[in-house]
Amino acid sequence: MPRQKINPWPYLLISPALITFFTVVFIPVLNAILISFQRYDLRRPKAIGFVGLENYINIFQDPLFFQSIWKTFLWVIFGVGFQFILGFGLALLLHKKFFGRGIIRSVSLIPWVTPGVLIGLMWRWIYDGNYGVLNDFFLKLNLINEKIPFLAQQKSAFPSVIVTIIWQGIPFFALMILAGLQGIPGELYDAADVDGADGLQKLFKITIPMLKNTIYVTTLLRIIWVANSVDVIFNMTEGGPAYATQTLSVYVFNKGNTLNLGYASTMSIILTLLLLLVAILYLKNIFGREEE
Amino acid sequence: MNKRVLCLSMSFLILIIVAIGGFAQSKSVTITHWYWADNPQYSATMKEIAAEFNATNNKNITVVAEEYPWDGGAYSETLFRAAMGGGGPDTSTFKLTSTPLFTANNLLVKLDDYIANWKDKNDIEDSLYNVMRMGSGTDNIYLMPWTTQILYVYYRPSMFNEVGIAVPKTYAEFLEACKKLTRDTNGDGVIDVYGFGMRGAKGGHEPWGSFIWARGGNFKDFTTPQAIAGMQDFIDLYKNGYTPPTATMDGFQEIIANFKSGKTAMTVHHIGSSPGMIETFGDDVDAFIFPGEVGQWTSMGDTENVIMESCKNKEAAFEWISYMATGKGQEKWCTVTGNVPVSKSIQQLPVFQNSKFMKVSIEGTPVAGIYPILDTTTEWISTIWPNTVAAALLGQITATEAMKKLQIGLYGQ
Repeated sequence: MPRQKINPWPYLLISPALITFFTVVFIPVLNAILISFQRYDLRRPKAIGFVGLENYINIFQDPLFFQSIWKTFLWVIFGVGFQFILGFGLALLLHKKFFGRGIIRSVSLIPWVTPGVLIGLMWRWIYDGNYGVLNDFFLKLNLINEKIPFLAQQKSAFPSVIVTIIWQGIPFFALMILAGLQGIPGELYDAADVDGADGLQKLFKITIPMLKNTIYVTTLLRIIWVANSVDVIFNMTEGGPAYATQTLSVYVFNKGNTLNLGYASTMSIILTLLLLLVAILYLKNIFGREEE
Repeated sequence: MNKRVLCLSMSFLILIIVAIGGFAQSKSVTITHWYWADNPQYSATMKEIAAEFNATNNKNITVVAEEYPWDGGAYSETLFRAAMGGGGPDTSTFKLTSTPLFTANNLLVKLDDYIANWKDKNDIEDSLYNVMRMGSGTDNIYLMPWTTQILYVYYRPSMFNEVGIAVPKTYAEFLEACKKLTRDTNGDGVIDVYGFGMRGAKGGHEPWGSFIWARGGNFKDFTTPQAIAGMQDFIDLYKNGYTPPTATMDGFQEIIANFKSGKTAMTVHHIGSSPGMIETFGDDVDAFIFPGEVGQWTSMGDTENVIMESCKNKEAAFEWISYMATGKGQEKWCTVTGNVPVSKSIQQLPVFQNSKFMKVSIEGTPVAGIYPILDTTTEWISTIWPNTVAAALLGQITATEAMKKLQIGLYGQ
């Protein structure tokens, strides 16, 4: 039997992407895993060495770690949840025909295209308890009698940063859902009109079912991105006051900044595993339902 | 024939000498220097100092000054990461508290031999060289002193006159002044001037230390009753509304903005901000050293220059940092910024002797000190102190609990 010739072109063509993946993603992740089993603190370079599971044991005895996990959970649930609801509403609005729709669609992308660092700095001054425009606005509308130090108090700091991340993420959901809406055949709505369906019925029986794959993928992506995000919180509060806004990724960043890389790497591995678990359960739930 | 050979040989020799001289002349050295600047004027001044040095050093040394933000101490982290990554500058401005981190990783050049052979070495106090040795925990000097900044309390004489109080001479009078200066100036029922501009964010440990020492505490043990009493005073200022409610997150920009806008009557900083204060208030701003009671302490801010181990021309780098320490660079920088010069001869210049803020700074020198420089200090300053103190200010933990956390954070269990 003649031996089949192996065509080298597919391998050659994917090799740049593979090489990039290995050098930029795989090797650093592998390095982080190796560091998580070491006492790797650049403040004490002579003490660097293998310590087994010591970092993992210490982390599970760290109350700040569990607090950060809880904060991350709330950050994702409320952040992504409201991004979805408001983004969906915006997409439905932008799907309608009206004068200036093109410009409005472009302008609505501004929060998404603005760098996270700039968003953090901008909203920090919007919320400022002495000179912020938000306080000024509320005072002029007589909604408050005295200025609120939004970012200086524990009970208001975390909701304030969540509002900021919601503002940032709405356009992404709006854009993805809008694209999905374009793909829904108009005949389905015509048929629904013939059957006497009202707006809400069309929304729940046609629109949402037709968009479900778009919604699933977009939501999963945002869960991962929001859980990992550091820039907005760090530039607004650095995780304070009194760790009130310290999610796990911010804790990792702060710990990394103090050069305790072993501890920081360990927490980042745990965060990765948690997000992997969420992604697997999420996708299993979705594809499991589809197979049924 | 002999004459011709001689002439040709002489010409050839002269040509070689000129060529060697020309080669030496054209062999220039570039030194990259990193620095931070508190405002655009200081930034421009550093560029001018570098340009003047480049024009006058006669050793073909060209300094390229690159600015990086201080950002509450993130400058040191940026410098560390760059140096560890194999990049970074040849020389840099530096803070004493970062010394253990850099020396543990062999990133700094020992300056002992350079200083020993330096003609101006006696223009700097021996005590300053000793402080530099302390920072490294060794007998070696890694940092060249550059400027010092003694923290003091800015105040508005007009506000003091309005409420009828004098400059506080004791700690008790200071706390009372914070209370009296907090008021509603326009009768709308809302406080619009606060007595004290508290810095609760990163960097706030420096003015905070004065409260601890005033009650008889110190930095060796934060859990003594005296230290806890000082912490309780700090908390009470916030709880009683004598500081802006934003104090838990107020950093340098916020406390200066609050003071300049008239929102606060007193705030703690150093002579580096005095040109801006004079520009805003003219004569209606003055300063006093944070008063004591049982003890007295104020923070001695320091700024030094270092040579990085990766520098390829350390002699040229030393020329530059010594120009900054006792040469024209020192004079110009300290004249513009108002920082206290380390050079004894430059301290005597009229521009420094006639400045009221310089006088207050010098008055504070006997009680000025630094925090312990340990490998935990950076994390303590940047994360543990701000979050622990914020928790105490917001009533989440007591003064005792906060001081215990601070003790553990700096010294371990």
